[in-house]
Amino acid sequence: MRPKEIKKLIDLVESSNISELEVSRWGRKVRIRKDMGGQAMPDGHENIYVAPAPAPAKSKRAPEVAEPVTSEKKTEKNENIIEIESPMVGTFYRAPAPDAKPYVEVGQVISKGQVLCIIEAMKLMNEIEAETSGRIVEIHAKNAQPVEFNQVLFTIEKV
Amino acid sequence: MFKKILIANRGEIALRIIRACKELGIKTVAVYSTADQESLHVRFADEVVCIGPGPSAQSYLNIPSLISAAEVTNSEAIHPGYGFLAENAHFAEVCESCGIQFIGPSHDMIANMGDKAFAKAKMKEAGIQTIPGSDGILKDINQAHKLAKDIGFPVILKATAGGGGRGMRIVRSSEQLENAFTTARSEAEAAFNNPGLYMEKYFEEPRHIEVQILGDDHGNITAYGERECSIQRKHQKLIEESPSPAIDDELRQKLMDAAIKGAKMVNYKSAGTIEFLLDKDGKFYFMEMNTRIQVEHPVTEMVIGIDLVKEQIRLAAGEKLLFTSPLKLRGHAIECRINAEDPDKGFRPNPGDISYFHVPGGPGVRVDTHAYALYKIPPFYDSLLAKIITHGKNREEALVRMMRGLEEFFIEGIKTTIPFHQKILQDKDFQAGNFNTKFIERFMDVK
Repeated sequence: MRPKEIKKLIDLVESSNISELEVSRWGRKVRIRKDMGGQAMPDGHENIYVAPAPAPAKSKRAPEVAEPVTSEKKTEKNENIIEIESPMVGTFYRAPAPDAKPYVEVGQVISKGQVLCIIEAMKLMNEIEAETSGRIVEIHAKNAQPVEFNQVLFTIEKV
Repeated sequence: MFKKILIANRGEIALRIIRACKELGIKTVAVYSTADQESLHVRFADEVVCIGPGPSAQSYLNIPSLISAAEVTNSEAIHPGYGFLAENAHFAEVCESCGIQFIGPSHDMIANMGDKAFAKAKMKEAGIQTIPGSDGILKDINQAHKLAKDIGFPVILKATAGGGGRGMRIVRSSEQLENAFTTARSEAEAAFNNPGLYMEKYFEEPRHIEVQILGDDHGNITAYGERECSIQRKHQKLIEESPSPAIDDELRQKLMDAAIKGAKMVNYKSAGTIEFLLDKDGKFYFMEMNTRIQVEHPVTEMVIGIDLVKEQIRLAAGEKLLFTSPLKLRGHAIECRINAEDPDKGFRPNPGDISYFHVPGGPGVRVDTHAYALYKIPPFYDSLLAKIITHGKNREEALVRMMRGLEEFFIEGIKTTIPFHQKILQDKDFQAGNFNTKFIERFMDVK
């Protein structure tokens, strides 16, 4: 399911008396839960869990199984929020070497051109640079996780 | 046997390979461009990896992306399908050097058979008749005259650097030769910056006959009957069938023997197809060899009863050929390639949204397609939408089933070539099996 469709479902749950909604299509499920006190979660955000189809277990993105995605629906569509997507298929590394310090951490302010991570493809280490300066809001991939083309790696807020 | 295979392709052939893998208990990895997110092969694979944006050069032809995808998913083998990188020797070599089994022949074999001069020389060595012609570029008009006399008119002059019909001249007598030679040279120079010409015997109304072969790692090679592929428009096949209505048992035996001899001469492994030209007098000439699984492989599967893609995978895993002695062809099969093109507007490609999609069924009807209702056809790739294959106890039954199948095949929201195929099937000459590679040209002139 695409973010747009998930957003529509969130709006539906939000604006109605539905407390829990589960939709499945093509073997993929989305379940949206609302705390009936009117507040979804203590921090005011809806949590969406995208679960893969039940047995036979099909992992659509090896090796991870479930991927929590936080919805930004409550905040206005912010032009200052930039998503850095992977330009290639490979393995994502947070640091230049296994025992080295990660390139960046959440909350860190970075400058344009600064190296954010490495994507290893075919034994070659490719440094991924920031397209803009800003503050790291979120890091979406785990160290040593396989990533695909266009997969969102970082959310950066321009400062 | 492999535990996991990555399919380096898209569309109907990707789905075809996934199906074979499922039956063999092999896990599948589908790769897709951002334009193919909703594609069927992505739905049915066990794992999926997005490898790039829509344009093929950045996705399905992107070797680093494909190899990287195979590595992050721990795929043991890559099946290249047809088109894209299926006959790219460099890609096969990269796979080999990265420890990934390429499902097809070795990179040397691909490079060799892709070299027309090499392939021709090898076939000659095997004692197979090749298309008579010049050994390379014609030096001058005198050589042209001599050669034309040896080959026998009509001959065709072709630009060595060219294609698309430019720098080509058909010459029917020695009087025409000088003028044709000069004008073809100037045209070639203008179009390709290279005036070099070669000469070949010209066949007026040949039939395109190809033979399916399979070779294993133990030196066994077998031929699985012939396919008739003369119904072509601008050198693109539209309708294929097996067996060919133009071939009797005696000629079939000669073709099989020649194909096997040729394949043995190059020590061929995996699935491949040897293409021949059949002239009006029943003589055949080697044209070229394709070192991949072909679009029309289902017609052979229907008359032989063997899953060729499963065979290809088993052979790549080092297993022996299922059958080393020739098999009898059972009944008759026909395939129509349905394209998302508008036959009334010069076959203009028709990407767009399919609003309604109903696939025919019933006895002897098979449909291989990656399309479905509400599918949005991306504009970046070829227009092949579906293959409908029918099988019957004889050609008449296969034909009647194809007519029924096309009648039941509803695709709405876009234009397809289904109506065009229906018209061809009504043609008396086609029904009589009386046609050659000029058929579509004549058929469209008359319309």
